[in-house]
Amino acid sequence: MGRLLLLTTLRHLRRQPWQSGLTILGIALGVAVVLAVDLANQSARRAFLLTAESLSGRASHQISAGPAGIDEAFYRRLRLELGLRRAAPVVEGVVTHGTGRLRLVGIDPIASSAFRRPGGGLAPDSVRRLLTEPATALLSAATAVRLGIGRDGRLPVRAAGRPVTLRILDHLPEDAPEGLLLADIATAQELLGRNGRLDRIDLILEPGQADTLARQLPPGLRLETSASRTRVLEEMVAAFQTNLTAMSLLAILVGAFLIYNTMTFSVLRRRRLLGTLRALGVTRRELFRLLLTEALLLGVVGALLGTGLGILVARSLLALVTRTINDLYFVLTATRLALEPALLAKGWAIGLGVTLLSALIPALEAARTRPAEALRRSRLESRLRRGLPWLAGAGAAGLLLGWLLAGTDSGLAGGLAGLFLLILGYALLLPPALAGLDRVTAPLAGRGGLLPRLALRGIAANLSRTAPAIAALSVAVAATLGVGIMIGSFRATVADWLGYTLRGDLYIRQAAGADALPPGVRELVESLPQVAETSAGRHAHIHTDRGTVELLALEPATRSSRGFRFAAPPLPRLWPRYTRGELLLVSEPFAYRHRLRTGDRLRLQTDEGELSLPIGGIFYDYGSDRGLVSLVRSRYARLWHDPGISTIGIYLRPGVETAAAEAALTRLLGNRMDGLEIRSNREIRERSLAVFDRTFAITRVLRLLAIGVAFVGVLSALMALQLERGRELALLRATGLTRGQLVRLVLLQTGLMGLYAGLFALPLGWLMSDLLIEVINRRAFGWTIFVRLPAGALGETLLLAVGAALLAGLYPAWRMARVRPARALREE
Amino acid sequence: METRAPGPGARRQQGSRPADVADAAVRLTDLSRSYREGERFHPVLRGASTTIHQGECVALLGRSGSGKSTLLNLIAGIDTPDAGEVVVGGVPVTRLTEPGLTRFRRRHIGFVYQFFNLLPTLRVRENIALPLELNHLPSGEIERRTRSMLAAVELESRADAFPDRLSGGEQQRIAIARALVHRPDLVLADEPTGNLDRHSCDLVLELMLSLTRQQGGSLLLVTHSPAVARRADRLLVLEEGRLSEPDSSAITV
Amino acid sequence: MVGRGWHIAMGAFLASGLLLLGACERGAPPPPPRFTIAALLGEQGAGGFARATAVRPFRFPADHGPHPGFRSEWWYLTGNLRGADGREYGFQATFFRFALAPGPVTGDSAWRGNQVWMAHAALSDPAQGEHLADERFSREGPGLAGARAGPFRVWLDDWRLGADGMEGEWRLQLPARGFTLDLRLRPASPVVLQGDRGLSRKGAAPGNASYYYSIPRLQVEGRIRQGERGITVTGLAWLDREWSSSALEPQQAGWDWFSLQLRDGRNLMFYRLRRRGGGTDPHSGGSLSDGDGLIRRLGPDQVRLTPLARWRGYPVEWRLQLAGEPHGWRIRPLLRDQEMRLSIRYWEGAVEVIDEVDGTPLGRGYLELTGYRPSR
Repeated sequence: MGRLLLLTTLRHLRRQPWQSGLTILGIALGVAVVLAVDLANQSARRAFLLTAESLSGRASHQISAGPAGIDEAFYRRLRLELGLRRAAPVVEGVVTHGTGRLRLVGIDPIASSAFRRPGGGLAPDSVRRLLTEPATALLSAATAVRLGIGRDGRLPVRAAGRPVTLRILDHLPEDAPEGLLLADIATAQELLGRNGRLDRIDLILEPGQADTLARQLPPGLRLETSASRTRVLEEMVAAFQTNLTAMSLLAILVGAFLIYNTMTFSVLRRRRLLGTLRALGVTRRELFRLLLTEALLLGVVGALLGTGLGILVARSLLALVTRTINDLYFVLTATRLALEPALLAKGWAIGLGVTLLSALIPALEAARTRPAEALRRSRLESRLRRGLPWLAGAGAAGLLLGWLLAGTDSGLAGGLAGLFLLILGYALLLPPALAGLDRVTAPLAGRGGLLPRLALRGIAANLSRTAPAIAALSVAVAATLGVGIMIGSFRATVADWLGYTLRGDLYIRQAAGADALPPGVRELVESLPQVAETSAGRHAHIHTDRGTVELLALEPATRSSRGFRFAAPPLPRLWPRYTRGELLLVSEPFAYRHRLRTGDRLRLQTDEGELSLPIGGIFYDYGSDRGLVSLVRSRYARLWHDPGISTIGIYLRPGVETAAAEAALTRLLGNRMDGLEIRSNREIRERSLAVFDRTFAITRVLRLLAIGVAFVGVLSALMALQLERGRELALLRATGLTRGQLVRLVLLQTGLMGLYAGLFALPLGWLMSDLLIEVINRRAFGWTIFVRLPAGALGETLLLAVGAALLAGLYPAWRMARVRPARALREE
Repeated sequence: METRAPGPGARRQQGSRPADVADAAVRLTDLSRSYREGERFHPVLRGASTTIHQGECVALLGRSGSGKSTLLNLIAGIDTPDAGEVVVGGVPVTRLTEPGLTRFRRRHIGFVYQFFNLLPTLRVRENIALPLELNHLPSGEIERRTRSMLAAVELESRADAFPDRLSGGEQQRIAIARALVHRPDLVLADEPTGNLDRHSCDLVLELMLSLTRQQGGSLLLVTHSPAVARRADRLLVLEEGRLSEPDSSAITV
Repeated sequence: MVGRGWHIAMGAFLASGLLLLGACERGAPPPPPRFTIAALLGEQGAGGFARATAVRPFRFPADHGPHPGFRSEWWYLTGNLRGADGREYGFQATFFRFALAPGPVTGDSAWRGNQVWMAHAALSDPAQGEHLADERFSREGPGLAGARAGPFRVWLDDWRLGADGMEGEWRLQLPARGFTLDLRLRPASPVVLQGDRGLSRKGAAPGNASYYYSIPRLQVEGRIRQGERGITVTGLAWLDREWSSSALEPQQAGWDWFSLQLRDGRNLMFYRLRRRGGGTDPHSGGSLSDGDGLIRRLGPDQVRLTPLARWRGYPVEWRLQLAGEPHGWRIRPLLRDQEMRLSIRYWEGAVEVIDEVDGTPLGRGYLELTGYRPSR
């Protein structure tokens, strides 16, 4: 391409700093959001994989067991009798430091040395002390720095409910996962109160050894490959991360409208210039290439900026992501960003790709017109008008296809694809809809005076400019509405669920990282005169033919049964049979994920061997998206040799004050209180909802970013529109319109555009919330959410759209009002 | 006419133009073109025909909306006729493909508009150099010719200015320089002086005629001004969509 | 007199080229730097440990068991075997105990403890020119490795040596990589207390000594497996037991250790402590015993040693002149490559003893060469 041709476009970009800047900002924001979410997701995933991998090291297999863990005598048997010498024992648990949680992993450094775990590269003296001194540990370097703990520093923690001061002998090497306390296995057993038990045994097995070993395992123990174990953990968070990715794509979709809009404007504004070039003998191809080069240039600058911005945003996003994973899934610490080139490249590719794609249509349009025609703007408008039926057709097709795709059983990815098709189809429908609207409003405007008439006409006459702007704003606002409805409904559903699930007045449980409650606590509690009755629960993880699942072994009180609500009619005589341990209850996500129905059977691996039980009912549960299985506690204790309980629900006598009862309980338990938590019904409810809100904080951030992109889009579209109409407005000024009237005209027009966008956003938002709830959340998590329209959401949506549009109209209005009419006239 | 530079001649010999029609710079045969206005078609040209000889300066007269600009666009290959043929320098313009047309225009046509249509983002010097660069001339040659053209329109001092800093007359002189710098066979001028005061008008016209004649090219000039028309070798009038040659006494109006 | 494991356990740790624990998997690429058992064991000083400072009474079988107050201890078994196929074999089975810290242990976990164990095993097959070696490491608890006196037992994983039903008989069961030893051992000579009634000085510094006793002859019968091949074997083994908390003195570089079982019923143990820069340390020594027990202690002047041939820097063939013997002896390896290429590298191999004048075979034994930097 010629240097001079390139110069024409470069200088053009420089002469329109606002336009170029906004385009770049739009691209940058789009790239930033996608990149930030990707980076945060990937970094969390990396931290997780690092944790999983570096902790199991080169292990090919793991032996795990039920809630009681593995008797360490089995490990001795493994080495002394079965001769498996590449076997390393692990004791794992969580300790708390202040409000933070750390993963305590106890290993045998000697048996582990073949497994390449963290701990390499340490001073031998540290390892020697780790082995020989109680309450010593190594801490991840980054975490140690964050907590300000140096070598040989002291770290106060609570382990198994007891306060302990750990001596941090050294920092783990940089490649170790964050938030990790590595200790000798003896230390870990002592701290976690797990003497005699192991949580798993890592193995390096030769091919063929696994089968032999599997046959020799005592009941209750399971042999699985490291890969499958990691995969199960990964799948847990996959759904959550997919949702985040969907949100980030929404931002780029809005960004695409913006880029398209600016590129179209940029072409239109130069139609004379482009026409001249064509007349001078610039070929179509050259012109097309020129415009794409221009877009590419903007794209590159935008993507570069977006990369920086994305990394900045990713840092705070990562904290939100890990916090959510911590709240919902497992202990994970990640503060380091995984700045992989592939990831950056992906953000870039999306940014540049969308930019080029958006520029393609205007560039083609500019290159396609004959030189004589390129000089006329009206032809573009008339072309658009002629294309309206096509747009309507394509839009309707997109809507339909999206709806079908999302509605059929196409999985999570299909659901997301459907959602996007739906949005796209809806956006395509907007120009025809606006044209139709014009036909309705035109007669009304005729009676409304000059300014409204001018404003309305301006929107309809410049549809090629106004429609994309309205569409972009509409999609962004609809997204916030849709997500808002989804979160609002979800929250209301969870609040309801908490209300009917938490039947007891007070609950006692062991503090974080702990196992069973000390024996005798329940008897003590029941001896209180205020207490009418108690229920007891035991949380454990068990193995079933559908994988590992959390089990709630429940010893219900008379009122407990009302704590379950069923998604489908349960089996007859449910409660007597449940109490006898003849059937299981499973949670809705579990049933959904494994396609189980009431009456199906689940095979459980108990310490007494395998057992198959029917599913008596499928209950709503929002506590875990992995699922929950409930069995009566008496049967559980027999099958798994685990008489312990982890929670006690307390039902007070009528008329007893909860606070008074709580005080009495605290006094009664006295010195046994260490590590016990007493929570009132209300407190649990509040805390749960706080966790819920924390979980969706990240969604809120993403919504704001999407609105940000849309705002930039509207601002840029309005600026373009108003600047382009400079001559027309100058003419109006020359004819006698006052400055104030002009400002009012511009604001009226932008406000109207905002109103249109808001109105069109309402049905789209509703559709999106429906899809998000019914399709995506259900497919990702398996939850039924009862839709509830948050009060005022519709009004807020309209306000948001109009507000954003008005805000975006301020600058163009101010600028237009300042321009002297004579000058504006002469410029043309 | 002996002042003709060797460049275009050499180019012409390599080109496709047959030698036997060399003296007919433009031949128009039965040109028709109509435009759609809403639901109706509005005919602009209805079988216009004429021939312009090489080196000839022809003034085209006609009322507003009579189709003068359309005719120019058809000759330049910017627009295509509904029927009829345009042959420029032996090249059947109406039969060329779009890229062929563009290349043809780039090499053989120079354009001067009423509104000067300089590229606002290019400096004066760069505006003049643009057609040369489009024709892929070596940079030394571009430099040399741009400079000599600037000298010819007497605007060397404004070489680095942007067009919006120039007066109307100056801008039009630059436009003429740009139209002639690549030594086109045919210069099309659409009311080049329509927007200028009397003094600038004379200056611009003089410049255009003398430069075109110097280069040995032909000139088709759309104008409303009898004064301008009188400077031409021949007159053409566009009326009712057809071309005719009035007797010179009729132009005194 | 000094025991052989001494140097292997301690000397190599002090040498610079520490071998990495991970290297025990042969053929694997060198692992990234990490703490090594070797470094782990060599790290701490002897402070707080019991010292061998005075002559003490030995009691059996109690002293076959562990002495955890001392920093290190070993059970060292070597022997020459003859297979039912007529071929000669040599074997080694060694259990090392190391204490990482002195003093009592606090904590309830069965894993809690200061003791770490290492074991080495080897099988030499001179007829095939094959030398197989393997090693194991483990902490003591919970029952993964250890030693007990009554009934006698020492084990690490599935390698074990100890009383096995039959009165007065021990059994070695040792499945290793590439070979398996399953031998019954019956002491055929009384215990010989080395040094001064079992107190063996190793250097000039006070307390730089160990408690050291040997059973120079144990009748062996049993089976070995070499790859897929099982062979019934009989032969003679030698047991060394030693415990101490000392380290090599700075001027000592390593040593050459001989345990020879002669056909005339005599047993010779002699070690030559090498000083840095050559020369024999005055604390070198040994003993000569017969089926009834100790005959006499040997000082550095009573045994003259001359190396005859080297293999990769190891002096694997010797001339030995014992004071009072009419002829010198030639000590020849049954196989030159009996290098222990484990996380600690040394040479330990079966040898034969020949009259250097008439070539009469005089006996069999084991030779240990440590502190060398083997050339490749």
